[in-house]
Amino acid sequence: MSPFWVGLIVGFGAALLQAFFKVLPPPAYGVCIACHVRDVVNWVFIRIWPIYGVLEGVPKFVGADVSKVLPVLTPIGILVGAFLSALVHRELRLRSMRFGPQRPLSEFFIGMGVMISALLMGGCPLRTALKSAYLDFTAMIALGMILIGVIVGSEVLKRSA
Amino acid sequence: MHLWATFILGLIFGWLGQRVRFCTIGGMRDYYLIRDTRLLKGLFGFLAGAFLGFLVLRPFSEALKTFPWFLNGKALFLSKWSSMGLQAQFNPLLPVPGDPISFSPKVVAHLLLAVIGGFGLGFLGVLAGGCPFRQHVMAAEGSISAMAYLLGFAIGALIFHKFIGPFVSSIFG
Repeated sequence: MSPFWVGLIVGFGAALLQAFFKVLPPPAYGVCIACHVRDVVNWVFIRIWPIYGVLEGVPKFVGADVSKVLPVLTPIGILVGAFLSALVHRELRLRSMRFGPQRPLSEFFIGMGVMISALLMGGCPLRTALKSAYLDFTAMIALGMILIGVIVGSEVLKRSA
Repeated sequence: MHLWATFILGLIFGWLGQRVRFCTIGGMRDYYLIRDTRLLKGLFGFLAGAFLGFLVLRPFSEALKTFPWFLNGKALFLSKWSSMGLQAQFNPLLPVPGDPISFSPKVVAHLLLAVIGGFGLGFLGVLAGGCPFRQHVMAAEGSISAMAYLLGFAIGALIFHKFIGPFVSSIFG
């Protein structure tokens, strides 16, 4: 198995999910990490603390329409699947990175920044790729900007390392 | 139904992604730094699979036919705006699918968001050492850094919808 085939399977699966399993609306929502995490977090959070206010007596849900009643569970599935795979192949090991920006505390703030950028743009790299595959012009521009961001970031890493 | 469907796709994706270390940002980074195309091929495979799936499944699915795509005549590629827009309801600055390509304030605002968000995502993603998917996999493998990242990820969503989203949409109206 190579990354190419994994990508092919999951990309096809994303279209399949939208075609036959009602992961709609919005369009191009078959697989996305940032948006699905946002949906799950908001779905849980409005039940503990109605942070966005109350709309006609029920806590107001902010997110994709598909997750209003029941959330999409992609991130949970990924965590479980990767955990099982690591368990079976004996790659499970508690560890922490010691290298500059990848220490836990800075990763916390980087994660926050990544989520905010992703929601500004309308999706994580995967959903941007999905939208580009459906020929969304704006997403293609965003994908190009991700590449530029990666190049700048790589240069910064090269210089700091 | 979508609950279990997305869970199962996530399960498969998590398992396979853990085996091959699938990562979109990592693919671009590896290509730029050491000219290694292994992970980049994963991104291209994803694009190819999604495009293929859309083409193949379109005739069988009413749901896919509603998408504003160039084949349905509503949004002709490169002469009409074919954006599918953000998924959050409150953001009013998305070009309506099928809007002519122009530089109205709405379109410019949306492009600006794509540029800012894309750059921030690429830059911060490469500092974090992987795209959000890869961070999920690493957290499941036991990386404490990735777990901290996921915590920040969840809090970032709340911050965005509580403060930044309303602020952005109040600027662009």
